Amino acid sequence: MKRIYCDIAATTPLDPQVNDFMIEIQKTIFGNASSIHMEGQQAKAIIEKSRLQVSKALSCKSEEIIFTTGGSESNNMVLKSILNGGDHFITTSYEHPSIKNVIPYLENNGVQVTVINPNKDGLIDKSDIENNILKNTKLISVMFVNNELGTINSIKEIARLCKQNNILFHTDAVQAFGKINIDLDETPIDFLSISAHKLYGPKGIGVLFIREGNVMHPLVHGGSQEKKLRAGTENTPAIGGLGLASEITSSNIEKNILLIKKLEKKLLDNLSSANIIFSINGLNRIPGLLNLTFPGIEGQNLLLLLDIAGISISYGSACGSGSVSASKVLLNLGLSEEEAKSSVRISIGKTHTLNQIDVLSKNLINIISKKQHNTQIYAE
Amino acid sequence: MQNKVLVAMSGGVDSSVALIKILEMGYDPIGVTMKLWDYKDVGGKSLPDSNCCSVGAINNAKLVCDKFSVPHYTIDFTKVFLEKVVKNFSDEYLSGRTPNPCVRCNSFVKWDAFLQQAEELGASKIATGHYAKIIKNNNNYSLAKGSDSRKDQAYVLWGIPRGTLNKTIFPLGDMTKNEVRKIAIQNRLETAHVPESMDICFVADNNYSRFLNDFSNDKVSKINQGEIKNSKGEILGQHTGYHNYTIGQRKGLGLSMPQPNYVNKIDAKTNTIVIGEKTELLKNSCSISQVNWLKENIKFPLKVSAQIRYNSKEVDALVSINKHNAIDVKFEKPQLAITPGQSIVFYDNNTVLGGGIISKICS
Repeated sequence: MKRIYCDIAATTPLDPQVNDFMIEIQKTIFGNASSIHMEGQQAKAIIEKSRLQVSKALSCKSEEIIFTTGGSESNNMVLKSILNGGDHFITTSYEHPSIKNVIPYLENNGVQVTVINPNKDGLIDKSDIENNILKNTKLISVMFVNNELGTINSIKEIARLCKQNNILFHTDAVQAFGKINIDLDETPIDFLSISAHKLYGPKGIGVLFIREGNVMHPLVHGGSQEKKLRAGTENTPAIGGLGLASEITSSNIEKNILLIKKLEKKLLDNLSSANIIFSINGLNRIPGLLNLTFPGIEGQNLLLLLDIAGISISYGSACGSGSVSASKVLLNLGLSEEEAKSSVRISIGKTHTLNQIDVLSKNLINIISKKQHNTQIYAE
Repeated sequence: MQNKVLVAMSGGVDSSVALIKILEMGYDPIGVTMKLWDYKDVGGKSLPDSNCCSVGAINNAKLVCDKFSVPHYTIDFTKVFLEKVVKNFSDEYLSGRTPNPCVRCNSFVKWDAFLQQAEELGASKIATGHYAKIIKNNNNYSLAKGSDSRKDQAYVLWGIPRGTLNKTIFPLGDMTKNEVRKIAIQNRLETAHVPESMDICFVADNNYSRFLNDFSNDKVSKINQGEIKNSKGEILGQHTGYHNYTIGQRKGLGLSMPQPNYVNKIDAKTNTIVIGEKTELLKNSCSISQVNWLKENIKFPLKVSAQIRYNSKEVDALVSINKHNAIDVKFEKPQLAITPGQSIVFYDNNTVLGGGIISKICS
């Protein structure tokens, strides 16, 4: 059975070009980038080329890019590095755990934290941030695109608001990079986090953009890699893969958006014409990330039934043991417990075909219509 | 779809081998670990990975499923488990009774919520690693003891609804524990050497007093010391709170008596423990409640072989309906320490006829 993976917001398959490139690096370039000899120079070249590729994709300087192990590390680094006791920090209630779960740590260290809820459309209102700015507000962190809803926040405006108030601004752009254009030249973002495995690149590698002039402290002390901000011998193949993945995705954004919009429309049309009752959670979304509520359907069972049928989607928030509970983000938007339990996330990307969307639709309709209409519309 | 079976996988050796057997029988299994509780909810120290519901146990179940390319999911049943099993356990103890939570877990969680989950996933049957058998005779299904008499678990299954027997598979019914271990080792299962779990899963430290104190602190903290009396009503000493005792208990009474004395009665209302010598604990009959029959057309009076607690010997008994329309059991020989709250199970040879909860000790 050929599986259809519709959970690209969780992680993406490796782009074959990236895979080939990484295998080539693993085979031939094993040097330590800090070494002076030829092997070291080769590794260094891979890393610096990647830095250029990423900075080009973001319209920033290459010196403003440091490599980390991913979004979680980048997020942690900004918060723990910038905020000290007595500072005020504003963030949102639907951030990734690598922001949300740092809050107790910050509070323990005397940081005052204000958490802002998204509005019912899944967006952060600029005015809500503005109204909460205090004299000692040092940092504001708002995610670019929410991972459960796909909603795109007005980051440019929020960043400008921060600039006007002389407040540092961080955005977790893990779900945004490669899917929408990010121009750091014209958006006054101070810190931005990226992860390679959301853009058809490898896992365990990411980026922190640090605008020139900002002073940071390392989380991991040691050697002088990454301007002494991230000690440890560089993961050359992963960094190389990240650079190539950034280049490929960012130079194909328009093309991919067109394709994914077409796929998304196909899916929604299929569901509508089969009289499936559903609603889409969140406004102003990136294409391909659909958080759908199917009244009368248990989201968890839908996920399991699709999985058994060879299709992967996502439901709720996973916990350590692998069991899941209803999405807290959806409850935050004002959905009832029952509505949240009837919601799933389907995320599609550049690797999908119209034919796969038809198979996905057919399976969805088959499972859902039985429950919603007590009749089976699609016969095998 | 008819071939799909939901296999309850605890992460132990029995359910792992049950999965292998289900595959051998030609079914299309889906492994499910039921998440029943969290230590943080019910208190108690975290214990090693061998315990049910721990991340380690769940990962073990996943590894076993992965070995056979069987899908595995962890599904949350904590709410129903808390409501139907854990709360009842606490309430029963605090009423001076001695419950058997495994029985309720089978009746209200596995052969109810889990079975419903199976139906949701298009599976017509469920399988577990219990040592018991389902016997099919024409179109009648009955529950019988497992072949390994030392491991038999039919006793804890008396309360499952009769209508679920035809949806149940016990792949280990014909096997001994040794055979099960052997198969696990032959298949190099990650779970082959997981030790036996003997305690109640949510009281992994086996300290019921500690558990009750954590779980129902508001109630337990109000239970004071009380009197220990003999059957004549004479006060012999003090006890630490009635919930810390069970019928038949001898040790830990803190009394020095010429003859061994046992807990004979627990009165929660008056916070009194009545003790007596062994002969006083021998009783001829009891009343039962929450009766469940696994056979059709039960007629009274019914001659049975009865078992009054897990691992106790069976005894011949007569089950009848009394004038209050309740069910009485009269034993052929007096039974020692019949305990309210415990399950009594009725057999006809190896077949389970039904059972109930001991509610009142008569004479």
